[in-house]
Amino acid sequence: MVVLLVMTGFSLQSHSQTRANQVKAVFLFNFAQFVDWPANSFSSPTSPFVIGILGNDPFGFYIDKVIEGEKVDSHPIVVQRYNDADDIRNCNILFTSKSYSAIKNLQNRSILTVGDQNDFAADGGMIRFFIENNKIKLQINLKAAKAASLNISSKLLRLADVIE
Amino acid sequence: MKKLLLLLFLFFLFCFYNGYGQDLSPKELKKLSVEELMNVEVSLVSRTPEKLTEAASAIQVITGEDIRRSGATNVAEALRLAANLQVNQLSSSVWLVGARGFNNVFANKLLVMVDGRTIYTPLYGGVLWEQQNVLLEDIDRIEVVSGPGGTLWGPNAVNGIINIITKSSKETQGLYASVAAGTFVKDMAALRYGGKMNDKVYYKIYGQHFDRNATEQSNGAKNTDAWNMSDGGFKINWDASSKDDISFQGDYYGGIRKTVVANSPLNGQHLLGKWNRTISDRSDLTLQVYYDRYYREDAPTKSYDKMKTTDVDFQHRFSIKKRQNFVWGAGYRFVKDDASFTNTASAGIVPRFKRLDLFTAFAQDEFFLTDSLRLIVGTKLLHNVYTGWECQPSARIAWIKNQTTLWAAVTRAVRTPSRFDVDYYLPMTPQPPTVPSVAGGPDFVSEKLLAYELGYRFQPNHVSSFSVATFYNIYNDVYSVEPKPGTLTYQIQNGSEATSWGLEFAGNYQVMRDWRLRGAYTYFKKDIHAKPGHNFNPSYLGNDVRNQVMLQSILDLPAHFQFDIVGRYLDPLAKTFATAAVAAYLTFDARLAYNLKGIEIALVGQNLAKKNHTEFGTFVIPRGVYGKITARF
Repeated sequence: MVVLLVMTGFSLQSHSQTRANQVKAVFLFNFAQFVDWPANSFSSPTSPFVIGILGNDPFGFYIDKVIEGEKVDSHPIVVQRYNDADDIRNCNILFTSKSYSAIKNLQNRSILTVGDQNDFAADGGMIRFFIENNKIKLQINLKAAKAASLNISSKLLRLADVIE
Repeated sequence: MKKLLLLLFLFFLFCFYNGYGQDLSPKELKKLSVEELMNVEVSLVSRTPEKLTEAASAIQVITGEDIRRSGATNVAEALRLAANLQVNQLSSSVWLVGARGFNNVFANKLLVMVDGRTIYTPLYGGVLWEQQNVLLEDIDRIEVVSGPGGTLWGPNAVNGIINIITKSSKETQGLYASVAAGTFVKDMAALRYGGKMNDKVYYKIYGQHFDRNATEQSNGAKNTDAWNMSDGGFKINWDASSKDDISFQGDYYGGIRKTVVANSPLNGQHLLGKWNRTISDRSDLTLQVYYDRYYREDAPTKSYDKMKTTDVDFQHRFSIKKRQNFVWGAGYRFVKDDASFTNTASAGIVPRFKRLDLFTAFAQDEFFLTDSLRLIVGTKLLHNVYTGWECQPSARIAWIKNQTTLWAAVTRAVRTPSRFDVDYYLPMTPQPPTVPSVAGGPDFVSEKLLAYELGYRFQPNHVSSFSVATFYNIYNDVYSVEPKPGTLTYQIQNGSEATSWGLEFAGNYQVMRDWRLRGAYTYFKKDIHAKPGHNFNPSYLGNDVRNQVMLQSILDLPAHFQFDIVGRYLDPLAKTFATAAVAAYLTFDARLAYNLKGIEIALVGQNLAKKNHTEFGTFVIPRGVYGKITARF
């Protein structure tokens, strides 16, 4: 009985964590629609649109389901997973659960950097997920995005906490 | 058995842990907008909000980007991008816009709103498009619903609803400036600045002006219908708290229309405040108040119409246990009309002063019968000064699954009388029965519509979507003008009836990353005649094309160039005893633009296919070209 209770508590926590990660996965997919990448981000009209995950992967197979068969304009979306920031080649959106310092070297490339560590956006990351009133909210560092020639749509900005 | 249960239990735990067997399927979650996504409670199951594309009605949306890429210079031209509307330019300053038939100069079956403010005039139930000044740059989208929407909206939503929605000040920060010069559109200039007072309060102020040249006659001579307009306004958006959004906006315009004898001035202004409170993600409240006034004068008699409207409207949405979405609201409109017609030997409105107050209340409930089947029932109740209480119920059913929506609806809508139906006299002074005259419509009642609709909307993939809507409309008690028995005194009556049917197709296709197509085709047919026992020919009430096609191409070229085309074809209009025949026409607008670092230089040609063409009546619309420089910082 005790075992069951403990396991139930464990499962509820995982459950909400999973839901949060599912919503985050769909956000990552949606960012592709609300951000403009410079034309030179793609080598050809059919080259893939890459969503990268650096380090621990909280989404699992779910994010593969989300992007299955999807395209950004003519670019098919693919998911790539990296152990090290140095492995990153052509990447358009990068999610990491690490702190910003782990990806600091990417700042001059047109990669939309997304994270969920507390100071991720304040330190120079572009978008940070945080939870408020049990819902996922966004914090956006507009300056960082602009420095990387990424144009974030006003519709997304309107819904986010923007830090200058 | 116990062991089995335990195993089952553990299996479900395992499912949860892995994120399978849950209600957040990728497909469902992807359907949500970003706003909706932000409202998903991450540890509780919340209701699935409705997307616009799942609406159970014949809706076509024109985005601000579609408008900016079309080269349209005002709202009426922008409405050509929705082919479920028939748009005809009559003269330099007069446009006719209709849906599902009944197009004429006094067309009266559309409800048109700008940011929630109703803009059709209760003088005759139509929109004076030349008075509608909206900064096109700041339009977020125009929703065009063909078909009745009287249950949720007002008493004029018989054949369609046009909802023009402008961006919030938060989305229009910074400087926008444009100047243009051309042939038919002589000159245009616009300036807008958006700033913020603090993190919670954003504002914008703007001003614009244009001069438009005259149309021509078929022999090439110029008409005298050139005109100009200036307007200025503001919008303030205040995030009063995490639950309260407050906005306040206003506009003042003034212009001059030239006529053969003299100039006719017009002006108007409005102020609108809106308060939206989010009680929870399942419930919100909106309160809106506006004041609107217009004044338009007609040379040479200096007859004028002065209309003052104050409107209070409130709406409450909430959901009940995930299985129902309920919305209800009420509103009161105080309207004072001063229609001053000075030449009593001619046509006029009697009495000069009239209160046209309107009370409305509505309730609508959306039931989720199964995961994919919804039933939406509701009714509007309204009270007007002419006919008292009226009722506009509707029932809709929608089946929504896998990016597909199939819907059907039965709706009743009424077009309540306007001053032109009840108070129109020709001449204004009373005449004996032996002298031909028109003596108002004291017995005129509302025109009624019973509409049957069936529609299908499909988004096969991320790059394309299309919709088809069909309808069969039965109109009763339609306008007529008939003599009283044994006299030459005519009165406005409800002696006509009509049926109409048609099909509206619209599609969007992202061909390549840099090339997008929007297309639409509309087929329309109607039968309108006098009711048995009545003697009137109502054919002139509906100057409607049978086939209409629109195609818009939006293309980004290398080196910061853009090349865009809007083509349109309209079938001929038949001659009636009051209106001329109009030939079919195929014409197109083209836009070539160069963008660099916030500066845009555009060359736009309008109605390029021919030197000139006629869209309604006899005036000739010339080909037009203009150049425009825009700065956005």
